[in-house]
Amino acid sequence: MSAYLLNRVGQALFVLWAAFTISFVLLQAMPGDAILIKFQNPDLGLTAQQVAEIRSSYAADSPVLVQYVQTIGKFLTGNFGYSVQAGVPVSTLLAAHLPATLKLATLGFLLASVLAVVIAFLSSLTPFTWLRGALQSVPSLFISIPTFWLGIMLIQIFSFRLKLVPVINPGPWQELILPVVTLAVPISAPLAQVLVRTIDEVMTRPFVGVARAKGANRHWILWRHVAKNALLPTLTIAGVLFGELIAGAVVTETVFGLNGIGGLTERAVGSQDAAVLQAIVVLSALAFVIINLAVDLLYPVLDPRLRTKVGVAA
Amino acid sequence: MTTKLKRFALTLATLAATGLPHVGARAEGATEPVKGGTLVYLEQQAHTNLYPPAGGFYPNGGILNQITDKLTYQNPKTLEIEPWIAESWTVNAAATEYTFKIRPGVTFSDGTPLDAAAVAKNYDVFGLGNKALKHPVSEVINNYERSEVIDPLTVKFYFKKPSPGFLQGTSVIGSGLVAASTLALPFEELGDATRIIGSGPFVVESETIGKELSLKAREEYNWGPVKLAHQGRAYLDGITYIVTGEDSVRIGALLAGQADFIRQVQAYDESQVEAQDYQIYAPSTRGVNNSVVFRPDNPLVADVKVRQALLHATDAKEIVTTLFSANYPQATSIIASSALGYKDISAKLAFDPEKAKALLSEAGWSVGSNGLRQKDGKELVLTAYESLPQPQNKETLQLVAQQWGKVGVKLNVLAGDSGSRTVDDLDPLKTPVSPAMVGRADPDVIKSQYYPKNRDVLRQKGGLSDKVQSFVDDKLNGLLEALASEPDRAKRLAIAGEIQDYVVDQAYAIPIFEEPQAYAGAPYVQGVAFEAVGRPSFYSTWLAEH
Repeated sequence: MSAYLLNRVGQALFVLWAAFTISFVLLQAMPGDAILIKFQNPDLGLTAQQVAEIRSSYAADSPVLVQYVQTIGKFLTGNFGYSVQAGVPVSTLLAAHLPATLKLATLGFLLASVLAVVIAFLSSLTPFTWLRGALQSVPSLFISIPTFWLGIMLIQIFSFRLKLVPVINPGPWQELILPVVTLAVPISAPLAQVLVRTIDEVMTRPFVGVARAKGANRHWILWRHVAKNALLPTLTIAGVLFGELIAGAVVTETVFGLNGIGGLTERAVGSQDAAVLQAIVVLSALAFVIINLAVDLLYPVLDPRLRTKVGVAA
Repeated sequence: MTTKLKRFALTLATLAATGLPHVGARAEGATEPVKGGTLVYLEQQAHTNLYPPAGGFYPNGGILNQITDKLTYQNPKTLEIEPWIAESWTVNAAATEYTFKIRPGVTFSDGTPLDAAAVAKNYDVFGLGNKALKHPVSEVINNYERSEVIDPLTVKFYFKKPSPGFLQGTSVIGSGLVAASTLALPFEELGDATRIIGSGPFVVESETIGKELSLKAREEYNWGPVKLAHQGRAYLDGITYIVTGEDSVRIGALLAGQADFIRQVQAYDESQVEAQDYQIYAPSTRGVNNSVVFRPDNPLVADVKVRQALLHATDAKEIVTTLFSANYPQATSIIASSALGYKDISAKLAFDPEKAKALLSEAGWSVGSNGLRQKDGKELVLTAYESLPQPQNKETLQLVAQQWGKVGVKLNVLAGDSGSRTVDDLDPLKTPVSPAMVGRADPDVIKSQYYPKNRDVLRQKGGLSDKVQSFVDDKLNGLLEALASEPDRAKRLAIAGEIQDYVVDQAYAIPIFEEPQAYAGAPYVQGVAFEAVGRPSFYSTWLAEH
């Protein structure tokens, strides 16, 4: 087990390094850079010479390799540098924006899972074919609703019209209600879709036939036999959905004016704020690695057939 | 997320939410200002670096204007310069030496005195920059040489060349005075609003970066502009700025009573606000109009006839009536009609497609089989990047492209990321056409816009870009230098008029409309003022009973 874990940690470190390096290369390859975008801005009206002086004071024109080594060295000591655009340390920015996104993503994902399970189980339990068809088409509907439109509609109806939740100056939990719903809808679609398909697929397996022959009814089969089997593919999709979650968060945070990493990323990309972007990329890669590791470690817990593969460590 | 889709969504959302209950009836003849209350102000974007000379960015200016004072006050109605932190001043005939008498008893919010030494320190940084701390030079201060503290309340500034625009330059947001502790910070730490220590009527109380900023009134404040009716402490107890990026959410929140005042209302949303008896404020930015400019270094637009043809092919009236509202007056010169030195040259800006076609043919561009103008095997295809801060700029450029299309010229409108835009915009070959505007209530604004050492919108050789091959207009530059250094006011305004004529005769720019800053406020919000270029001042603002 320990060898397996060491192996996984090594992989994780490699992924982090690769994410850092690839984002660094991409940012270098893009035309312009943060300093140019910030200071070439006509609002400042600086002369070419002044811009050149600023560039040299930021060492923006030193060799790429030198910049790379310096940045990675700073990262290793936990120094993420300053945001050129916002004029504050990157660590301050992250500390200010991370909590909102963590809350939004976690709650959004939980609600999405509940929605997915409800849709999938109802559709396989319902005795009415028309309702089954309707429920099975819900995921396609959910995935095609534009997130920003849903957000704006929810605000207009629940905040401005019915005055149930304020969008301006809401309480710490109040502010999450509408955004969480907005984010959960598109995330629940692929989850529900996979769950529905897997349930259908598992239902055709021989052991279900055996259980049925023993006289088990549909409910019993679904809960006792099928659910566990259907969880594995769903769990895999859940790990992959993390990226989707971040993308959905960008739009949701923008619409609701939430102060999260999504909105911060969008702004940083716009102004090529390299220091901010690099920190976010590494952070996201870290989250991705951890989530997928957790998913992998859950497999053997859920499926006894997978336990032998892991437990061979001397 | 396209604007079209967004607007469709908004329409649907608005339809769904029609019949918003009526909040805040009109304040009944209230005339006596009421003290107290907190104004909830919704901003479209988060502020960036709050170094005062970077106050041109609207979200920054909206904050700096409440927390810093200026040496002088520019009356937004008359545009005259009036006393503020400076009680009086003298300028020598050549406009190379300015002496200011500082009002006694003014302090920054950290308790340090705002005296001659503090003013000198501010202007040394704004005028010369600070390399060690990476503070850039302020755009509004030309030819600055040094300061001299004559006595604790008298400061004198010396200029290398005449600098007649300097007096007005002391009144702008970019010249907000800050404490020594703020100026001692490196540039990259000035994005933290709590560290911007000014002497203004409000003080930064707290900030959630990127989201919210709270200001509270400064109790002992008693040094507002002398000629204002309101003296002493601000009426409001505080202001809460909340960043709300989505247009529809800002308007909806205002109309639903969740906010009091919002910035950035698109022209197509104005009627929705006014229908509810709320007020639209659209102060002019009083500078260089929202225009389309050419980069004559690009051979396609090097011929003045081609530029003139495109000027006459542009129907500014159609743009204003289609995309905007009465708050966006059609341009009648390259600067706003309320700007200093304005000259009406609307006769030269007539929309005349027949003339445009004739000019293009004269210049040797004939219509090819595909309907595009051609010359020596080249097609007249131009490119422009949209400018995000300008209202509906993409739609404006697209409409211009349609109009040019009718005379056989293609204009590609690119969105592009900031990086590509910034880099390509320096290269006339890649970007022969560009949108442009700048606000400042002094004739120097024209120099700011066109002079190669400032914004250099025409991209001249020796200016901002090293990609320019040969284009230089010495006559224009000579006029701009004269404008920035002519001490005699009447002569200076005459030069301003001459430049307006010259730029349009050369068809360097196609002025389209006078750009306002659009805000909306609840009916109970009283006494909102705007400084000369449309940034709000909440010093005299109060909230009536509601």
